[in-house]
Amino acid sequence: MAARVEPQPYRADWRRGGVTSWITSVDHKRIGTLYIGTSLFFFLLGGLLSLFMRAQLATPNEHFVTRNQYNELFTVHGTTMIFLVVVPILAGFGNYLVPLMIGARDVAFPRLNAFSYWMYLLGGIVLYSSFFAKGGPAKSGWTAYVPLSELQFSPGHGQDLWILSLHVLAISSFAGAVNFIATIHNMRAPGMTWTRMPLFVWSIEVYAGLLVVILPVIGAGLTMLLLDREVGTHFFIPDQGGNALLYQHIFWFFGHPEVYVLILPAMGIISEIIPVFSRKPIFGYKAVAFSTVGIAFFSMLVWAHHMFAVGLGWGLQSFFMITSMLVAIPTGVKILNWLATTWRGNLIFDTPMLFALGFIAIFTIGGLTGIYLAAFPLDWQVHDTYFVVAHMHYVMFGGSVFAIFGGLFYWWPKMFGRMLNEKLGKWTFWLMFVGFNVTFMPQHFLGLLGMPRRIYTYSNGGWWEAYNLTSTIGSGVLALGVLIFFVNVFRTRRHGQRVGNDPWLGDTLEWFAPSPPPPENFPQPVPYVSSPRPLRDLRLKLEERDARAGA
Amino acid sequence: MVRRFFALPAAILIALTFAGAAAANAGLAPVTPESPNANAIRQTYFVILAVTGVIFLLVEGALILFVVRFRGRGRARGQDGAQIHGATKLETASTIVPVLILAGIASFVFVKLPTIKNVPEAKAANGALQVKVEGHQYYWQFEYPQGQVAFQHMVVPIDRVVELTVVSPDVIHSWWVPALGGKIDAIPGRTNHTWFKAQKLGSYEARCAELCGVEHAHMIGWVDVVTPAAYARFLAAHTGASSAIGKEVFGGVCATCHGLSGQGDYGPPLVGNSTMTDRQGLEQLLRTGKNRMPAVGKDWNDETMQAATTYLKGRFGGGQG
Repeated sequence: MAARVEPQPYRADWRRGGVTSWITSVDHKRIGTLYIGTSLFFFLLGGLLSLFMRAQLATPNEHFVTRNQYNELFTVHGTTMIFLVVVPILAGFGNYLVPLMIGARDVAFPRLNAFSYWMYLLGGIVLYSSFFAKGGPAKSGWTAYVPLSELQFSPGHGQDLWILSLHVLAISSFAGAVNFIATIHNMRAPGMTWTRMPLFVWSIEVYAGLLVVILPVIGAGLTMLLLDREVGTHFFIPDQGGNALLYQHIFWFFGHPEVYVLILPAMGIISEIIPVFSRKPIFGYKAVAFSTVGIAFFSMLVWAHHMFAVGLGWGLQSFFMITSMLVAIPTGVKILNWLATTWRGNLIFDTPMLFALGFIAIFTIGGLTGIYLAAFPLDWQVHDTYFVVAHMHYVMFGGSVFAIFGGLFYWWPKMFGRMLNEKLGKWTFWLMFVGFNVTFMPQHFLGLLGMPRRIYTYSNGGWWEAYNLTSTIGSGVLALGVLIFFVNVFRTRRHGQRVGNDPWLGDTLEWFAPSPPPPENFPQPVPYVSSPRPLRDLRLKLEERDARAGA
Repeated sequence: MVRRFFALPAAILIALTFAGAAAANAGLAPVTPESPNANAIRQTYFVILAVTGVIFLLVEGALILFVVRFRGRGRARGQDGAQIHGATKLETASTIVPVLILAGIASFVFVKLPTIKNVPEAKAANGALQVKVEGHQYYWQFEYPQGQVAFQHMVVPIDRVVELTVVSPDVIHSWWVPALGGKIDAIPGRTNHTWFKAQKLGSYEARCAELCGVEHAHMIGWVDVVTPAAYARFLAAHTGASSAIGKEVFGGVCATCHGLSGQGDYGPPLVGNSTMTDRQGLEQLLRTGKNRMPAVGKDWNDETMQAATTYLKGRFGGGQG
């Protein structure tokens, strides 16, 4: 920085250039936008699949889709929502926000970053191309348990494409994770020590660390499955000396931490939104940061709680019950800290805050039903039923997706320089909140009544029928809320209210950059960071200066 | 202190047991248990429900209270709330209290565990009945100690301990009769065990709880709890290649895909199907499967195979022979 160049009036970088400029871009903001846009597209696709499922289950003995199609629907829905929506949209937030939040120019490896986005898109295309494969897409669920996913029971190429898709996505996530770690460790602004880092950045650090540990494991497991199917090995084929349970251990050693990969950055978003809309600092910064690390650590010790019904020894089952319950403790710490952050605040109920509060309300239920599943004798009753489906959606949808919507409303003005419409935003929130609970609350009861998951139809009337119909109606309300969000997005492109750098009076450095940020992010040098809330410090300093000038 | 810790959940437990009995069929608690292990699991459910119910009310109550009490009421965005950065004592307490609560729940589980997992000692004269449960794509097959084989309906006498050995020759299934205890997976290459002791006459639905393929939804069996006399009649009727077995095979195995009257559904119609006239071809098909049809009869003994082919030929292939 020998010569300071006067900042030119700039056009938002996403307005410059055509398609080529997007394809060749290595700017973290453009790549973040691509991630988020692509994830939202897959969110619509995955959501559509779930509406087909709810239509099929609305009434007993329904024939809306065939049994084969139904198995394809839940397999592709689950795979889409986890691998093509929540993980990448969080990667998108991380991409867009981490450099801005730590006051950096870009991520550590911009080209690797672009590579990781394009691999993600490729993975998504591979998965959806399996609809055109011989025998249709995979039908063995997002878990692809063996031997069902072996060649003998799942002929055709759908399962192979599913494996390929996950391999490609794992490479994408791994590259992204390495990039985040390098960026966070090396490129923080002057003064930003570990305990002055925004909590969202903390959560992305832990998210990336977890991915680096678990992705090689699933990569190995999927490779073994692929070899079984294509080369004639028998890692998982019992009558040829393989072991069907081995796959479950491998899958869940990856699969359970993956759940925390999905929820930790969502919690990070909540930890950013609640203080700003309570006009307070986060309650117990260190507790929130370290509980993130604690959850990640325990998440790697709980995998067999997905396997309580396979007949493990009592010692093992007891061990996994206790470790699973231990996860509840750092999670409880977070909920207490968020609640305490609102205590004696000046609560402002803009849409991001509504989603954050909705997250707390819903995630608490998802956390508590986790205890039912951890107590292994009770799990023998509720395992693989709609109780689990409900629990998992309370955590993944009411948790992660609500936080993501909160984040979209919160950072939209930063990304595009225009606010999403607040009135439509509130409609979105309330429709989603009510629709979500109407959809998934009755599924707990269905599970207790004895409805297994992944069945394409049922003949039981009475409560089964009533709860299923209620759930389907709820899914419609939920879908309407999501639809209004997309209307809002398109409306905002032309009519959204333009805003300056810092419409919410935020705490963190991304609000110091113009909205939307120019390619170099910060036209002015970033202020020295002396607390977790550098922007508030700056605001107070400026107010003090103005007051002194006025006096 | 410890006694008081258990006193509240215990009191709520008793209250909820009565409420729960009424609510069971609405899905607010596991279905009405008819076996000691299912009953102990349900008690665990009520304890956890009571504890988590209290936590739920506290958290959601606090959330609503704070939202109402500390709402902005038009205060400017620039106006700060109280700048509280934390409170070490509260945070420490909020770590220790959940540990104690979870320790309480885990202790209750360990207290109840023997009732759930241990097979009760059976009286010598009337020892435990051993039944082998085989999960197949897409039916349940039951083998009795004297070699009798039954399909779809497991018939057992009331008030007798039934020990199950659960296996699968193809993919993973999961044996689950909600009223008679928790589920246990049928995993190829493994042998799992569970038990029940049915206390009430009746027919209890057994669902496959692990995705096992295209007809997973229709892999439904029944446990028929009958009087000892009816059980004896059942055993007698299932000895040798009886027509009862042939009919059971059709209803429990074939009808899932080919329809209850062989009219065809996921599979082709059996009515007027030329394979039905050819006993050898039929046996070959049942033993090895073909295209979408699984090898349903791969492991059947000769009596079962004979009963099945005789029944199918008689009903759809135009007479004996």
